[in-house]
Amino acid sequence: MKKKKAKLRKRVIIAVVFAAILVLIATFSGVLAPNDPYATNSELIRQAPSAAYLFGTDNLGRCVFSRVLIGARTTIASTFFLVAVSFLIGIVVGMLCGFYGGIVDDILMRIADLMLAFPQMVVAIAVAGILGGGLGGAMIALGITMWTSFARLARSHTLSIKNEPYITAARLQGKSGLQIMMTHIMPNILEPVLINALTQIGTTMIGISGLSFLGLGVVAPQAEWGSMISEARAYIQIAPWAVLFPAAATVITIVVFNYLGDAVMEYRNAE
Amino acid sequence: MSEYLLKIDRLSASYGDDDIVKDVSCGITPGEIVCIVGESGSGKSTLIKAIHGMSELRITGGSIFFGNEEISSLTVKERKKLMGSEIGLIPQDPGSSFNPIRKLSAQFREAMAGHGMAYDEDRIDGLLKKIGLQQGKAVLGNRPFELSGGMNQRIAIAAAMLFEPRLLLCDEATSALDVTTAGAVVDELLKIRESRGTAILLVTHHLGIARRMADNIGIMKDGRLIEYGNTEKIFDAPENEYTRKLIRDVPRLKK
Amino acid sequence: MTILSGKDLNKEYVNRDRSVRPLQHVDFELNQGEILGIVGESGSGKSTLLKVISGIEKPDSGKLYHMGKEYTGQGPEKTGKFLQMIFQDAYGSFDPRMSMERSLKEGSDESREEILRVIGEVGLTEGLLGRRPRHLSGGQCQRMSIARALLSHAGVLLCDEITSALDVTTQAQVIKLLMEIRDKERISIVLVSHDLALVSMICDRIMVMKDGIVVDNGETAKVISEPSSDYTRKLLESVITV
Repeated sequence: MKKKKAKLRKRVIIAVVFAAILVLIATFSGVLAPNDPYATNSELIRQAPSAAYLFGTDNLGRCVFSRVLIGARTTIASTFFLVAVSFLIGIVVGMLCGFYGGIVDDILMRIADLMLAFPQMVVAIAVAGILGGGLGGAMIALGITMWTSFARLARSHTLSIKNEPYITAARLQGKSGLQIMMTHIMPNILEPVLINALTQIGTTMIGISGLSFLGLGVVAPQAEWGSMISEARAYIQIAPWAVLFPAAATVITIVVFNYLGDAVMEYRNAE
Repeated sequence: MSEYLLKIDRLSASYGDDDIVKDVSCGITPGEIVCIVGESGSGKSTLIKAIHGMSELRITGGSIFFGNEEISSLTVKERKKLMGSEIGLIPQDPGSSFNPIRKLSAQFREAMAGHGMAYDEDRIDGLLKKIGLQQGKAVLGNRPFELSGGMNQRIAIAAAMLFEPRLLLCDEATSALDVTTAGAVVDELLKIRESRGTAILLVTHHLGIARRMADNIGIMKDGRLIEYGNTEKIFDAPENEYTRKLIRDVPRLKK
Repeated sequence: MTILSGKDLNKEYVNRDRSVRPLQHVDFELNQGEILGIVGESGSGKSTLLKVISGIEKPDSGKLYHMGKEYTGQGPEKTGKFLQMIFQDAYGSFDPRMSMERSLKEGSDESREEILRVIGEVGLTEGLLGRRPRHLSGGQCQRMSIARALLSHAGVLLCDEITSALDVTTQAQVIKLLMEIRDKERISIVLVSHDLALVSMICDRIMVMKDGIVVDNGETAKVISEPSSDYTRKLLESVITV
């Protein structure tokens, strides 16, 4: 039993280290990028990888390596922001629904059901299409379904602890519903909902990159992996590196964050 | 010395690092009722599990004999054969031994098939009647979750008696029940001993039940058997300070 | 003097086609400084009565009074000023993430000296204040919840099977503590339990409940020696003691 836990713990640490490296790269991508990711150069169109241009150049002669680095910032930052906002909205809505119940709970939960009735990507494409392009539109499109999973989870955990004696004891101490939610319920449901947020990071990245790939997310010339792949796939036979490297970056990042989410979840479940 | 049905000899058992049962020795003769009394963490339930043979539990020292056979060294599979037919178990939570959503008749059928017996509703009905359930056949058509705890516990006793074991192990068999039901279950266990000469090893935290039922009582504390003797002696002249404290702290009706 | 009373309390739960009536025309009175025992088996309505008295649940009909003033319909946020509850689940009565000190301070603005005094009174030491519930024993946890109730200066303690999860020896200590604080702090106690013997040892009066009805009610000695209902007699016969 203890051995198994130690093993799971090791997995979590490895996953955290890799995720931290990715986040650090994204944060300092401006410094790390050897070339200006937006500078076009008509003499260096579709150059194969070399010492000066590690990942080669694209159709406009831009440094793919620098663009992948800057793109990391776009993808990772927007994912984190989106997950954080959905998490906040979800946990607040879920807690209110679970704690007070009644008609508000019914209405909000039916809305959540409605959102879950369609595949997330289908809703996102429809909403992003209506809102037009742009990163903001893509984030709203993904967030509109994402908060529901946090809300459901927060609600069910709230329901399971709201009848614990310590909640009743707090009420007998004269605490209001809001005070009880802040001091007793929030801290006790935070952990499972946070872990769920971790597991959502990978999917959200796929979502943002996917929308950008479809032209519904980040607009040119801003660097983002999905839009880079989309742009470069037109000349994939001439300059495969312009597709290969942003695609590899996407896959690696998603695998790392999914692995992190799974590792943490398994570690917690083992307790 | 009389012939022991079950003999526990310097038994130690553990789930992990530390022994939960430490160097316990005692024995039961056929038809005898022995109660092991202790508080939570005393190791009394672990003792039952060691006899019954739970796979997670490791026997770290000593041995258990059933008749002349050493059962502590049997494999889990071999032990399973013995359980049920020779040794019956009545758990604390009767729900845990039944599947809550399957009809009892189906569960009885399966258990009997497992021991190579044909399903015999009249026999089960007879057993249920003996322990105070008149509508035996109707009850068998129910699922455990539809029945009360007391009802399920009686059915668990009937199920244990089905194979006419020579020894019944009871792990806090009455503590999840209401007082009036607990009293009835105690009476039923006494009747079983009366009519069939079944030996009973009962583990409980309830000294009152031990006094009502037992021929001999053992007191366990922190994994050790700290006092053992016949019931009158334990109550009239307890030797151990802890035993005295246990007896003193039992609530008594104030007349 | 009557500190808490209820008149003609009724409660019904309807679940699809089945209805349960855990309280049927229940009256009760709790006098100043008294320990009132409420005895019954599962489903007798004894725990529902305690929930209704505390304001956690509202009665369908009937009235509740504190010192002659009606408080029917008030939630625990208000009733907490004059009554506190001790629960069967001692560990569950404290937020698992909070230290004892934080939990004790939650509802009262008492000084640290006062907290230490009360902690001492319930037989605990200062060193336990920094611990979380899971690092206490069941008995210590139950003492802590009694301390918390005392700190809120409520005159009434409602105890719901507070010893049934405890060992016999711990139970004896907690019961002794209840009697001590009744004498010292002049509080009144309602003790709900399935254990008639236990209740008979410390209660001044006993109410016996069955299926939502009060079947026996009176001075302890009288209920024990000349029970007025068959059910009480049956309960008395079922008491297995040493």
